[in-house]
Amino acid sequence: MNLAEGVQIVSFGILAVMMLGAALGVVLLNQIVYSAFLLGGVFMSISGLYILLNADFVAAAQILIYVGAVNVLILFAIMLVNKKEEFKPVRNRWIRQGATALVCVGLLALLSTMVLATPWAVDTTTVNASSTIIQIGKHFFSDFLLPFELASVLLLMAMVGAIILARRDFIPERKATTTEVETALTLPERPRELSGS
Amino acid sequence: MFHLSGYEYFLGFLLIASSVPILALTASKLLRPPTGGPERRTTYESGMEPLGGAWIQFNIRYYMFALVFVVFDVETVFLYPWAVAFNQLGLLAFVEALIFIGILVVALVYAWRKGALEWS
Repeated sequence: MNLAEGVQIVSFGILAVMMLGAALGVVLLNQIVYSAFLLGGVFMSISGLYILLNADFVAAAQILIYVGAVNVLILFAIMLVNKKEEFKPVRNRWIRQGATALVCVGLLALLSTMVLATPWAVDTTTVNASSTIIQIGKHFFSDFLLPFELASVLLLMAMVGAIILARRDFIPERKATTTEVETALTLPERPRELSGS
Repeated sequence: MFHLSGYEYFLGFLLIASSVPILALTASKLLRPPTGGPERRTTYESGMEPLGGAWIQFNIRYYMFALVFVVFDVETVFLYPWAVAFNQLGLLAFVEALIFIGILVVALVYAWRKGALEWS
């Protein structure tokens, strides 16, 4: 074992410990804001693991999207929740906990069988790691063209859905002129003075 | 099989960058006087007095901006490989990327028309 492999093994150990610790913190801490920030730590550790797998672009995208955008979105969602309250104890709590434990154990069993059944040997001879970004770009426009274009449709749908969900305030002048029949699909409207400011 | 080369500078940079906050906090702990009193425990020392608690409900506009930002962030990540490999891809890829951008322009126009980009 030369120096580079030693550095890689040590880095993998540090990243794995960081990721497991942060993930346990996400689950176990009571303050939800701490959980959100620790989730950012989990994402950064995953990004480090991507770098260890020589996937530099995926690592950068992981930092850019998950830490920079998704985690910020989660933090804003937490900030939107009302101020901290004492929650009432839930009746029949053991049923929920039992169902959650069942689902989690089933998921663990499924993932374990998948890990054991997958042949992990990767053919390393075809890797021409001159620039992974150019490789990704070539794949985007040759054999992964349909997923690439479908991604834009998915982003369009996500944007439209987010705007419809988040802006439920009605515009009074339009409401006064047109007398539309409310269908079953319309969302409950929020009063203007609450949504403004 | 390891073939990870060219990351020596990255590793060194990471080590130096992560040691900067540790060194800064340790140095300030060594240099500052040991006791500070209640003034030192305020949110902004020698700043404005904070009013109320920190757990307040934020405006939903922040969430809207974060959502729009997520969409265009993902778009940037998809378009970056196209821009890097632009010389080797040709005209067809250009048209396909234009289709991709066109669909997202529809999303941008929708957000614009719905007023999601305004802070009103």
